[in-house]
Amino acid sequence: MKKSIALLLILMMTLSLAACGSPAPAEEPAPEEPAGEEPAAEEPATEEPAEDGTFELALITDIGTIDDKSFNQGSWEGMRDYAVDNDVSHKYYQPSEKSTDAYLSAIELAVRGGAKVIVTPGFLFEEPIFIAQDEYPDTNFILIDGVPHSADYSEFRTEDNVVGVLYAEDQAGFLAGYAAVMDGNRDLGFMGGMAVPAVVRFGYGFVQGAEYAAEELGLEPGSISLNYHYTGGFDATPEVQTLAASWFQSGVEVIFAAGGAVGNSVMAAAEQADAKVIGVDIDQSAESETVITSAMKGLGASVYSVLEDYYAGSFPGGETLVMDASNDGVALPMETSRFESFSQADYDAIFSKLVNDTDGIASGMVVDTDVESAGDIETSAVTVTLVN
Amino acid sequence: MSTVYFLVQQTMFFSIPLLIVALGGMFSERSGIVNIALEGIMITGAFAGIIFINVFQGALPGQPILLLGIIVAALSGMLISLTHAYASVNMNANQVISGTAINMFAPAFAIYVARMLRTVQQIPFVNQFRIRSVPVLGEIPILGNLLFQNTYLTTYLGFIILAVSWFVLYNTRFGLRLRACGEHPQAADSVGINVYKIRYAGVLISGALAGIGGLVFVVPTSTNFNATVSGYGFLALAVLIFGQWKPSRILVAAFFFGLMKTIAAAYSGIPFLVELGMPSDFYKMTPYVATLVVLAFTSKKSQAPRAAGIPYDKASR
Repeated sequence: MKKSIALLLILMMTLSLAACGSPAPAEEPAPEEPAGEEPAAEEPATEEPAEDGTFELALITDIGTIDDKSFNQGSWEGMRDYAVDNDVSHKYYQPSEKSTDAYLSAIELAVRGGAKVIVTPGFLFEEPIFIAQDEYPDTNFILIDGVPHSADYSEFRTEDNVVGVLYAEDQAGFLAGYAAVMDGNRDLGFMGGMAVPAVVRFGYGFVQGAEYAAEELGLEPGSISLNYHYTGGFDATPEVQTLAASWFQSGVEVIFAAGGAVGNSVMAAAEQADAKVIGVDIDQSAESETVITSAMKGLGASVYSVLEDYYAGSFPGGETLVMDASNDGVALPMETSRFESFSQADYDAIFSKLVNDTDGIASGMVVDTDVESAGDIETSAVTVTLVN
Repeated sequence: MSTVYFLVQQTMFFSIPLLIVALGGMFSERSGIVNIALEGIMITGAFAGIIFINVFQGALPGQPILLLGIIVAALSGMLISLTHAYASVNMNANQVISGTAINMFAPAFAIYVARMLRTVQQIPFVNQFRIRSVPVLGEIPILGNLLFQNTYLTTYLGFIILAVSWFVLYNTRFGLRLRACGEHPQAADSVGINVYKIRYAGVLISGALAGIGGLVFVVPTSTNFNATVSGYGFLALAVLIFGQWKPSRILVAAFFFGLMKTIAAAYSGIPFLVELGMPSDFYKMTPYVATLVVLAFTSKKSQAPRAAGIPYDKASR
């Protein structure tokens, strides 16, 4: 009895060691690897070393993972697609923790692993890239959703080996809000994760899209109510599920869930209440039947196109690209959307207005740097209720 | 009235897992083994249960697969709690440390295995377990609305576990021995009770219940499992202490915590609470403040099992 239990314990401990240590040393690119680094080499299908064991393209994740159904995944898929299409070696690295030092050591690791282009998704990389652009002048960086700056924001500088990519989240949110109201919804909800700039822009855009649609439909002032809330995290919790359920219970028809796994709890609540959800970042329609559409960023597409530029010898180094409707940086996935009346033609009409900036709807958008809170956005048809 | 129904139905999603897990912790602690590994065991149970549901969903109808998933969760919870039992009963190890080890091991293990099996860390499942209205019982006015609509099989399982726990603890020979081992194991040993066996039983029961609690926690609140139960294992410990290691008080504590959590999360959708104008922070902190107050006033005659946390040493009398 004692022996068998001891055996079991040993088995468990071995497994736990395997889980904590770095798996599959055969595929590790660099001999020295900082502790806690998980190159997730258990996915041989997703990464291809070159013949000399180096990786030409590298992606470094921020706090998420490459399967976060959001930021990191979208960027990773773009890089992977390009690499597979053009037979380039590629790999991703996961920093040991969320800190500038950890990000820098992951960048060092990638450079030593032979990376020529490093993709870093997330504004958390703004400061690490600011440092790395001088440290590794021969390596090129694609910084998604940010521009390099020093720790105290005193200096903004983008060297020739760096390109920053920003998204007009406000336009994606705008499209979602517009579509929701045009589709007949009058009680809306916005549930963001943490109030980081990207999430805030989604929310503000959502409010203004709803307002724009209401004006177009000629609705009475105050005829649309919008609950507005940041959950303060990116996790699926019973609190989020309960909050969403209570909104649905009080008459909210559709909630725009902009915050990673927060969406899963909102979907759980929507399934219970037969209500609707709008997804975020990538097409989330497969996650639940309740997802009517998603406010997408063209993450993969933009990584893909910058990589194409790089290999064509026209890397837009030193620039900051803004991806919006005009260059397919934002979209709603109309093929997989479950709208009742909002049609492809309606979508094309509003999308082209954004592209052409008709009546200044794109340039006049209120964004995170303009007002302190969503309650300060000037609206007439939409009544915004801030929920803390 | 529909607001009240909604509140009660929603409270169940918080309270039932807390109740089940805290009862599990009670069995372990009443036998003399401190079990702070509840969080880790919940994750393990939820992980195994959700994997099972993910694989067999479609092959079997909804309710049977949930019951089978619960059994899988219980077994996996027992398996991992064996390590805790071995370390703390046989090896006389510090029970807090081996519990902490499980808490750290469980999420890493869940992520590692999930990625091995499916290359992604999240394990999705389709929620086909909700019972819109229980036949016949759901038709009863008021009571039917409160307890038998928009519910899960697991809600009733929670109450069954409560009843069985109470019966076992106070009305069986095993229960008496369990309590004796938690209060004064040397005395129990002197009358021929095998303290090691009883403590093993206590920890294994807590493993099974915490495993079930993990699955019960995840099913109503998400559409996938992402290797976390958001600290509810630790909350269950607070419920256990607030409930003074007694089944009936644990029931009260679990529902008090559950109701406060529900109100804190849901108040913006409930007109009556919005008009009160209380900040949600008030509701959020109430259960914890109450736990502190209760502890402060009862610590003198606190009911914590006297031998909990102390490895059993035959030689010391």
